[in-house]
Amino acid sequence: MSYIDIQNLNFAYHPKRPILKNVSLLVDKGQWIAILGHNGSGKSTLAKTMVGLLDPDSGTIVIDGITLSGETVYEIRKKIGIVFQNPDNQFVGVTVRDDIAFGMENLGFPQAEMLKKIDFYAEKVGMKAYLDKEPAELSGGQKQRVAIAGILAMQMDVIIFDEATSMLDPTARKELMDYIRQLHNEGLTIIMITHDIEEALWADRLVIVKNGEIFRQGSREELLKEPDMFIEAGLELPVELQISNALKKRNLLSLEMEEHLWESSLKK
Amino acid sequence: MGIQFKEVSFQYPSWGKQMFEAIKNVSLTINDKDEFIALVGETGSGKSTLAQHMNALIFPTSGTVEIFGISVTAKRDKKIKYNTLRQRVGLVFQFPEYQLFEETVEKDIMFGPKNFKVPEEKAREMAKKALNMVGLSDKYLTRNPFNLSGGEKKRVSIAGILAMDPDILILDEPTSGLDPVGKNMLMRLFQEIQEKTGKTIVIITHDMDLVYEYTNRVLVLSNGILEYDGTPNHLFHRDDISKWHLDYPTTITVLKSIKDKFHYDIDIYQKNVNDAVNTIAKAVQL
Ligand SMILES: Nc1ncnc2c1ncn2[C@@H]1O[C@H](COP(=O)(O)OP(=O)(O)OP(=O)(O)O)[C@@H](O)[C@H]1O
Ligand SMILES: Nc1ncnc2c1ncn2[C@@H]1O[C@H](COP(=O)(O)OP(=O)(O)O)[C@@H](O)[C@H]1O
Ligand SMILES: [Mg+2]
Ligand SMILES: [Mg+2]
Repeated sequence: MSYIDIQNLNFAYHPKRPILKNVSLLVDKGQWIAILGHNGSGKSTLAKTMVGLLDPDSGTIVIDGITLSGETVYEIRKKIGIVFQNPDNQFVGVTVRDDIAFGMENLGFPQAEMLKKIDFYAEKVGMKAYLDKEPAELSGGQKQRVAIAGILAMQMDVIIFDEATSMLDPTARKELMDYIRQLHNEGLTIIMITHDIEEALWADRLVIVKNGEIFRQGSREELLKEPDMFIEAGLELPVELQISNALKKRNLLSLEMEEHLWESSLKK
Repeated sequence: MGIQFKEVSFQYPSWGKQMFEAIKNVSLTINDKDEFIALVGETGSGKSTLAQHMNALIFPTSGTVEIFGISVTAKRDKKIKYNTLRQRVGLVFQFPEYQLFEETVEKDIMFGPKNFKVPEEKAREMAKKALNMVGLSDKYLTRNPFNLSGGEKKRVSIAGILAMDPDILILDEPTSGLDPVGKNMLMRLFQEIQEKTGKTIVIITHDMDLVYEYTNRVLVLSNGILEYDGTPNHLFHRDDISKWHLDYPTTITVLKSIKDKFHYDIDIYQKNVNDAVNTIAKAVQL
């Protein structure tokens, strides 16, 4: 049985405008999946139903064998955490320290352990020097890092990152992705919503959403061989493959070049 | 004319805590014509803070920002209508949530023009046009901006500034949150505006591919200091840009790997996919 088992999910904010249409999705323990899709396709809505922030109109969500409902939502939120698209939606504390602590407090972590974790994760995201600042005083990318630290510190089974690194500089993003990869190797299940194909290619499996439906899913190797599907879904191939495909159209793509571009697109 | 920074420093109020200087002695000139500028640097380096000086949303702690001939200094001058500067220099915030406030998308986009005395009907027309320019249909006019997806909010906040038709546009991370189609569409839109009207555009971004493909000048901030002011080409020819937390555009990285592997004699400094393809094509056909 999959760790996350979503079956036939339907959701609408307004009865006349269905947003999620019969969405089914399985995620195994320890998997890393990336969700891609055009603006307004329903990615964040799907993420919010998974943590019980929105109630689906029909369908079921089972996480670690527990069916999500009003009664089980708090139990489920001990297993699955989300970093929001806009970190402001996550901040409640007076200081950065309070904010990182908040989630752990809710889970009942002992005080001493909490203090240690705050330092540890603040360091990991490069925000240790800012612990006494107010969240409102941070730059956009700094806010994103604090939001990520707060969720990491809760040490949950699954983390959903909803465009959580969109405002990081290239170095910070790379460092963070390396760290997330390490956590993944240690068993963390990751659902990463992103518009950045390079970031998505860190995942084992890509899930492509279009107009509230799962349009296509599969391994990156599988999907990258379908350039037309990417275009249809409003997405973009990695630059290496854009180049490769353009050369191919002009009959100028040697086997070696094709291989080289393919490998460089995947080796991030 | 345009915008001149003269030895500008800025400290956020610190309320007894240790003083923190977000901008340090920055001097620079932004022409009001024909510039497409990228403002880049590490998260927290001061980009958004600097951008907010460009339309007098914040006032320097020391030094002067001259905006279309009006001096903005630490001391506010009651005779100056700083508000008019915000019509001439339009700023799109990093987080659209800070900009959106009306109850419908239409009212939100109309706010700017109406505020600057454009008649109601004309403002409504401008709003609709601006909304379509950012890739959203008329259906969105009656939506509540707070109930939109992240990327939709971003588009509406950009439409709000386009409708004001300012002389200089400053866009703080305009493509974060946009899907690839939206990103390319908006970058081409900015380019078209820049080329057709000659208006200067400044974008803050972490996307080096966009910097290289679209802009003709780069400002690099690091810890509040302006470390670099020059062309993208010159910047990406340097080998020390990682000290500013920057990266190379993908075209350069890919072409370099091809050059090394296949020993082609090619110029790896190509600004977009098309030029990169042509460069490889030429080498292959030799
Ligand atoms: N609170 C809300 N009330 C009504 N409609 C909403 C609300 N939030 C989102 N929507 C609509 O639902 C659709 C899906 O939104 P969602 O936020 O899930 O998109 P998304 O795929 O995350 O997009 P993005 O890439 O822009 O973040 C959009 O058309 C949006 O306008
Ligand atoms: N309102 C504020 N009060 C205090 N400090 C702030 C405030 N806004 C930003 N800062 C600090 O100023 C520095 C520059 O921030 P910002 O200009 O937003 O950076 P960037 O846009 O380059 O990421 C950061 O270190 C940030 O923590
Ligand atoms: Mg979203
Ligand atoms: Mg910023």
